Order: sequence, then structure tokens, then C-alpha cells
Amino acid sequence: MLNLLIYTAVVVFAVVLLAKFVKYSTMPIHLRWEIYPVPHDPRHKHGGSYYEEVEWWRKPRLRTLAGELKDMLMEMIFIKKVFTYKRPLWWLTYPFHTGVYLILLWFVLLFVSALIDIFAIRILELPAYYLTLIVGTLGIALVFIFGIALLIRRIADWELRSYSSFLDYFNLVFILAVVATGIVAWQSDTDFSVAKNYMKALITFSDPPSVALATQLHIVLLSLLLIYLPFTKMTHFLAKWFTYHKILWEDEPNVRGGEMEAKLKKYLTEYKVKWSAPHVNPDLNWADEASRCDLGGVCEVK
Amino acid sequence: MRERIAITDIAKKEDQLVKITLEDLMKLPQPYDKPGMEPNVTEPKAEWKDRYVTELDGYVAIDVPWKPKTKEEEDKLVQKFLNGLRKLMDKEANWGFIQPLLLSLEYCARCQTCSEACHIYISSGRKEIYRPTYRAEVLRRLIKKFTSNGGSFKAKFLGDVELNAKTILRLAECAYRCNLCRRCAQYCPLGLDNGLIAREIRKLFVQELGIAPQALHAQGTAKHLTTGSSTGLTPDGFKDMIEFMEEEIKEKTGKSIKIPVDEKGSDILLFHNAGEYLSWPENIEAFAIIFEEAGLDWTLSSEMVGYDAVNYGVWYDDVQFSRIALKHAEIARKLDVNRIVVGECGHAHKALTVVADRIFVGEYQIPRESYLPLLWDIVKKKKLNLDPQKNDFPVTLHDPCNVVRLMGIVEPQRNVLKEICPKFREMEPNGVYNYCCGGGSGFAIMNSMNFPEFRQKVSSRMKFKQILSAFQDSIGPEVKKYVCAPCSNCKGAIRDILSHYNATANCGIHYGGLVELVVNAMVDLEQPYIELL
Repeated sequence: MLNLLIYTAVVVFAVVLLAKFVKYSTMPIHLRWEIYPVPHDPRHKHGGSYYEEVEWWRKPRLRTLAGELKDMLMEMIFIKKVFTYKRPLWWLTYPFHTGVYLILLWFVLLFVSALIDIFAIRILELPAYYLTLIVGTLGIALVFIFGIALLIRRIADWELRSYSSFLDYFNLVFILAVVATGIVAWQSDTDFSVAKNYMKALITFSDPPSVALATQLHIVLLSLLLIYLPFTKMTHFLAKWFTYHKILWEDEPNVRGGEMEAKLKKYLTEYKVKWSAPHVNPDLNWADEASRCDLGGVCEVK
Repeated sequence: MRERIAITDIAKKEDQLVKITLEDLMKLPQPYDKPGMEPNVTEPKAEWKDRYVTELDGYVAIDVPWKPKTKEEEDKLVQKFLNGLRKLMDKEANWGFIQPLLLSLEYCARCQTCSEACHIYISSGRKEIYRPTYRAEVLRRLIKKFTSNGGSFKAKFLGDVELNAKTILRLAECAYRCNLCRRCAQYCPLGLDNGLIAREIRKLFVQELGIAPQALHAQGTAKHLTTGSSTGLTPDGFKDMIEFMEEEIKEKTGKSIKIPVDEKGSDILLFHNAGEYLSWPENIEAFAIIFEEAGLDWTLSSEMVGYDAVNYGVWYDDVQFSRIALKHAEIARKLDVNRIVVGECGHAHKALTVVADRIFVGEYQIPRESYLPLLWDIVKKKKLNLDPQKNDFPVTLHDPCNVVRLMGIVEPQRNVLKEICPKFREMEPNGVYNYCCGGGSGFAIMNSMNFPEFRQKVSSRMKFKQILSAFQDSIGPEVKKYVCAPCSNCKGAIRDILSHYNATANCGIHYGGLVELVVNAMVDLEQPYIELL
């Protein structure tokens, strides 16, 4: 029964996340709305763009993948913007997020350890054992301690509290509950061997080892968290991919005859304006609306 | 004393939510660190209260009387607002911005990192209603509550706010307490955009209810489209101005220049903000002198809309924005030019070159660029004979947000200044991390009722602080200094703060554009082009 819940949780997590990705990916192309510096532009060190060139459209577009990767990784690994602009919060949120990364890594290590067991790769057993132990311990400690710290800060700091909803607190409490039950379960599995065997059972679709009640509770809560996560803003890693790569760093010019132009033509000629203010005709499409260049549609563009 | 204004107060509290006082405002450097150096704040007129929205902070940006007087009118207002909310979420009605809007609404962690970026919030003494997240959170809660299934139930968990006439009226005003400089989006760890949300609120009000400040709408885009320019300049008036400027160039420089107008087949169609023709013709004249001296093949347009580069739509209305942008492209197409070059107007840079890029299809997709790389090219290639010693006074540069943070043109203007101004110094911060002049998103031209006071006291305060700080080594009035503001609206905002704080008399600070400095450095000019009196 527990296995079924875990499989369901993993599938729901992946499917909902994928659905969200598809939802944002298939939205209409937005109007250009980037913010500089755009790190894939080689001029990004001073915040520059291809618009610094005379007749930029005649010149080859220069891109640096290294620049984009560097900015992306600095944000992903170090949460650089919070470090730069809101240091007091960074001291709490950075260890918390590092803890989350470590727990994710711990799951990967459990998975790898289970495979090592299945395929009997003895030479890797010991490194995998210690790595799992260290990463798991550190991850659990960081998420638990700094999760509590973030919760206290959200309650104690008026500028955060005033904007927080019930769910902002609930999300943190939920994560803490999962970690807390995990800590209790850990007491009867100090070297994570039961966890590894459980993972092995999940991989091989076989019966899992019997576990204590606290561990069962932990597994249920963890599965529920996995189901809940993609419906919340806690999956902001997905949003960040769009906000950075598809909006703030998106400087692709619209070229005549290009793929983008074809899509734009569709929006302009098929989408209705719909708005109802006196200066707008809601029944026209965007192209017709825009080419009626005065309020009464008198000076149509010829 | 900081008032603790909650999100829900927008719907509840009577009278003004906050009050601006001199004591609360951000402190300024010397000589403005002493009492009595700046005029006091004023109270809104009592009679405004019945017709205009003074309940936010006492200032009125939306200078049209739109307050409902009866219960029926209130209900109608709420209904229209709800219709607008739904259209913001509609893929067709808001195709141009729905993706960034939804992401910004869905994923805010309420970490408040953005607040530290906002010059209005900081300058005001951290008044809650100016926080970038305040209006965004109100809109977020309203959208969740009223445009999704089970919204009222969800509101209990996601945060609630009551929807009534007070909420709507204050939210509309609050959307005009943001310069749309998008510095907050630059700071946001999640890449969310509270500047965009302010613009989306403005859009809802104008595109659904027809409500917007007159300077932007009735006297702005509407006038632009119907008379040819938001300044009221007609094609005939424009032609007269050209004649006047040719004469003035002759008088000032001795040069006989025929300014090309409607020259079909030219390489360049140059677009100026029409405000320059009326307030700073020396800027347009400087362009003509430089372009002619450099031997460029260029023209101006005398056609309706074509002699005014502005597009106020970019600040508040997608429909008006598209109409004006399309008209600009159409004029270039008819003149059969190779490219459009935008002069010293920041928002026209962004509107025409960047944002409109995705509404120009087919023959409307004409290459467009800023004058800045072109100017640097002219200076770099020594097409002009320049003597930097003619600009031997302290100069600092204001970076227009639209040109720099929102378009990535940072170095060409600096290269020019370093070449021609030996006493050039940067303000801090600068480049893409600059602060707005306080006139952004229309504030520079919104001059009715008491709104200019908000601009001078709050939104332009950070810029004034930066200017004073840049000149601290010679702050006395005996040393004449120059703030270079290569953008018409920024220039207007800076003119107004220098006047409000009497900074030309107190500190010897003057302002102007970039091309004027270039012409001032021309060796063959006998008289200075820039007069710092």
C-alpha cells in the first residue's frame, strides 16, 4: 500500500510539473521585456547589448553560453541575488536551500546505492555508504534548523508577516513535519540501510522491508508533500527557468519571414482585443484595432 | 513614524492611507541637509475629495473625476473592474504579457528583496503603499479570489482582500506610484516583475474602464493620434518650427543648414520627442548640426505622428501603444528609408526598438536603432573636429532606464563623454543599475493638480540625491555643473527638481542633453553652444 502511494506521488509530481511546463511553454510569445545585463551577450559585463552596435541587424549576433551558465549557476547554487541585495535573509534561506539540495542528492545516492547492491559492485559500496551518511545527515540538519529559523523570521518580521498567507506558513510547517518524522525514523535506521533497502524494493518492484510506525508516517507525509509540491509556488525552480531564460534574458529579435513572425501574425490577426473601454472595439482583432490609428478610426493606415 | 499599513487596509481605512512629511523623507546631502532648504509638502485641496481619489496618499495622478456617487455607480465600477480582471487573464486580450504576468502573480515568495531596489519606497521613508509588492499583492489576491474556481474559499488560505470602490480607486492611484523602471525585477531572486504588475493594473483601468491620467490618455496618446503630437504640435506648426530652427542655427553657429524633411529614400528617418521642438529646440538643432557635419543621409517626417517619437502607450495601454508604433513604422515605410534612428527620448527607444519589435510583421519590420552608437561612431571616427577643453566643467550622466536597463545601451554615451568632457564623473549607482529620474512612466508629463509635488518630493528624490553626491567636490554655485540627461522626459524631470530645490542658484547645477555637449565642443563654433549662467 505504501509503495503504491510512493509510486503515485512520483507520477503526480512529474506529471503536474510537466503540465505546468507545457502550460507556460505554450503561452503566446510575449512582447520584448528583457532586463539588462543579459548574460548570454558578450557585452554583459557592462550591461551592454547588441543595440550598442551601429546597424546591429547587419552584424552577427554574439552569444556566450559561459556567461549565461555562470549567472545561472551563481543563482542556483548560491542564491546570489538574495546574497547581494538582502543579506540577512540569505543567512537563513541559503543553508535551508542547500539542505534541500543535499536531501535531493541523498535520494540520488540512495538510488545509486541500491543499484550498487543490485548489481553487486562491491568496490563502490563503502564510498556510497559514507557519502549517503554524510549528505543525508547534513541535509536533514540544515533543512530542519533553518526551516525553523525561516518560520520564526516570517512570524517575527512584520514586513514578511504582513504579506504572508496561511499557506506560506503551512508550506514551511509541512516541510518541517516531513523532516521531523524523518529524524524520528532515522533513529531506528542510523546508517540509512533500511532506507537503501526500501529504495531497492521500489526499484525492483518487490516487497519493501517492514518499517516502524514512525517511518511509515514519514513515508506517507513525504509522499503527500511530493503530490502537493507541484501545485504550489515551492516549485519556483520551474518559474525561474521561464522568468530568466524566456523573459528577462530573452532578447531574440523578430526577423521577417521567421518562425516567430509567423506566430505573431497569428496572434495579430486571429486574437480578438476584447477590452471594452470607449477607445477600443472589442470585436476587432489586434491588427485591425491597431491600424485604426485614432479614437474614431478616422485616419486608417493605408 | 512608519505607519503599518496592511494589504487589507486598502479596502477599509477611511481618509488617506499614508501622509508624506518632510521628516519621513530620505535625507539629502549638503547643502540640503539643513532645515529650510526645501519647500514643505502641501495638503490636497478639500474640494478634490468629492471627485478625485485623495485616499491613497493625498496626491492625485488620475486627474479625471471618476469617483462613484451612488450605490449603483459603485456596483457598476466593481463589475467593470471584475471584467477587466478576467481580461488580464485572457490569452487573446492580453497575449503580449500574459506569460510574465502569470509567473509574477504565481510565484512571489514575499521575501521583499525588491523593496530595497525601489527608489520611491526608499525615498518616501519606506511608506508601505509604495513597496513594489503592495499593489502586486492586492492584485494577486483579487485575481485568485475572483477569476479562479472556488476563489472565495482559496482566499482564506492564499490571502484575502475585500473588493469595494475604495479598493479599486486606491489600486488605480497606486499603479501610478511606480516609475516602471523595473529595478525591482532586476533585484528579484525569482525574476518576477512587480513593475510589470503596476503596468498591468494601469492597463486594466484604461482598456476596460477608460480611466487614466489625462496627460497620458486624453491629452497624450489620443491627442497624438488625432492632432499629430501629444504636445499639440500640428504638421504646419512643425514646418514653422523647422524654419525657426534653421534660422536659429545660423544665428548661433553661423552655419547654413537645411534640415531635411520628408526626403524619400533617405538612409535614416530620425525621430525626435516633439517636446524637444517646444522646450529644447537646441537639442534638435544640435542633431541637425552633427548629422550634416558628419555627412549623413537623413530626414525628418512632417506627417501626423511622424514628427513625435513618443509612445505613451508603452506606459499604460497596449492598444494605444500598438496604434502609435504601427503609425511610426508606416511612416518609415512610406518614406522608403533604410532605418529609423531614435533621438534623445528614452521611452521611444524602448517602445519602438524593443517592445514593438513583436508587433511589426512583414513590411512593417523596418530596422530601428538608437542614435547613441551612431553618435559614438561619428565621434570615434573623428568626423567632427572637437575640443574637449570647451566642455571644461564638471559633467555627470543620468542613465535613462529605458535606454540602459531595458535596452542595454551603456557604453556609447560614456565613450562620447569621456572623449569630450574632461571633468566627467559617474553618479552612483549607474549604468544598468541606475535609479530612475523620477519622471519615468509618464510622471514627467503629469503636471496637473498636486502630482508634481509627489514627483519632486518622492519619485525624483533619489535622483536629486545622486546628482548632489556626484558634485560634492564642488557643490557651491560658483562652479557651473552639467547633468547630461539624454532623454526628453528625464530632462524634464531633472529640470523640475532643479527648479523645485532651487539647485541652479544654490549649487550651480544645470542640465541638458548629450548632443548639445558634442556641439559645444566643436572647434569651429565661436560662441559656446551651452550657456551655463
